[in-house]
Amino acid sequence: MSDKEIVISVRNLTRNFGERRILNGINLEICQGETLVIMGGSGCGKSTLLRHLIGSMKPDSGEVWMFGQDIAKANEDELDQIRKKFGMLFQSGALFDSMTVGENIALPLREHAKLDEDIISIIIKMKLELVGLRGFENLMPSQLSGGMKKRVGLARALVMDPKIIFYDEPTAGLDPVMTGVVDKLTIDLTRKLNITSVVVTHDMGSVFRIADRIVMLHQGNVLQIGTPDEIKHSKNPIIQQFITGAAEGPISFMQTGDNYLEHLTSKIKE
Amino acid sequence: MEVKALEENGFSVFQVTGEINISTSPELRKAFEKQSSKKVVVDLEKVTYIDSSGLATLVEMLKKTKAQGGSLGLAGMTDKVKSLFEITKLDKLFSIYSSRAQALTQV
Ligand SMILES: Nc1ncnc2c1ncn2[C@@H]1O[C@H](COP(=O)(O)OP(=O)(O)OP(=O)(O)O)[C@@H](O)[C@H]1O
Ligand SMILES: [Mg+2]
Repeated sequence: MSDKEIVISVRNLTRNFGERRILNGINLEICQGETLVIMGGSGCGKSTLLRHLIGSMKPDSGEVWMFGQDIAKANEDELDQIRKKFGMLFQSGALFDSMTVGENIALPLREHAKLDEDIISIIIKMKLELVGLRGFENLMPSQLSGGMKKRVGLARALVMDPKIIFYDEPTAGLDPVMTGVVDKLTIDLTRKLNITSVVVTHDMGSVFRIADRIVMLHQGNVLQIGTPDEIKHSKNPIIQQFITGAAEGPISFMQTGDNYLEHLTSKIKE
Repeated sequence: MEVKALEENGFSVFQVTGEINISTSPELRKAFEKQSSKKVVVDLEKVTYIDSSGLATLVEMLKKTKAQGGSLGLAGMTDKVKSLFEITKLDKLFSIYSSRAQALTQV
């Protein structure tokens, strides 16, 4: 990757929520045209990291360089300009319930450009075709399944033809065929159009299909970063447990300890 | 982006140079609206990039030409531009020719 241009550079990114430190000095460089997968346990801060990359959250300290600017210090006007250049698929889809599917997709277009309605309509349909939802433009989000909403969110993320796309669990809730469709789209966009993709996913099948590099987050830090092969053959027991999905290992979910009884019987704060 | 509208062997030829994007595609659309030939060739040889609004503009041009019983061909696109058509499966909709000369004999 060293010969490639770096498009995003994260330096010593730190973020606390109250007393809890979620991101503990993250350093990360993302190259032009690569698909970087971010892995890590539920609640470890993947979505939080993405929110810092797109500037919707500000770090307690550290920098996020993108398009020659420190996003962490950009003001709203500057962020508005930067937002035109990347697309974001939120974990929840984040559609507006009062707008049709088509209006949701067209939203960034109407905000940032003056195009004829006939042209906008063709673009909406082209994007829906990409995500396998031909003919759904006039439905309301409430009439869609979870996986369909996800794909509408993806169509909206793609509508401005961004050079960088952030995906937060793009295939969660999709059936295997649709997962394949979305994976292939990610691969096509990177390989054919040289688009940079940053993908948070728990789907190990997807990870090894799409990733050029994988970064594993653990306890607020980058545990390891490497090619799919390097991660697959990592000697780190945490990574091995993560990719094999073993219930027993260094990542412990069974927090029974000395104070379990005390904990169960203590009062929940009002 | 620059659009040159020419008449060649009874064809309307649009020779486009540069990027067809969200701020320039309306110009191509306007240039097309001024012509009325049933045989149209869009020469994309010197086009470096086409975004979705550009693709949508070409789709609309194709539709309008066909609605009048005419035909529209795209000529000379680079590999990069071609992949933009392939990802959206628009390569299946258009007649694509390797050069303007070829398009002018076959459209
Ligand atoms: N706005 C917030 N206020 C307070 N705490 C937050 C906020 N957002 C996230 N957190 C906390 O930060 C931690 C990381 O959350 P985040 O959503 O980034 O996890 P994640 O890695 O994306 O998890 P998942 O895989 O389940 O989506 C969690 O402990 C969460 O409780
Ligand atoms: Mg998350």
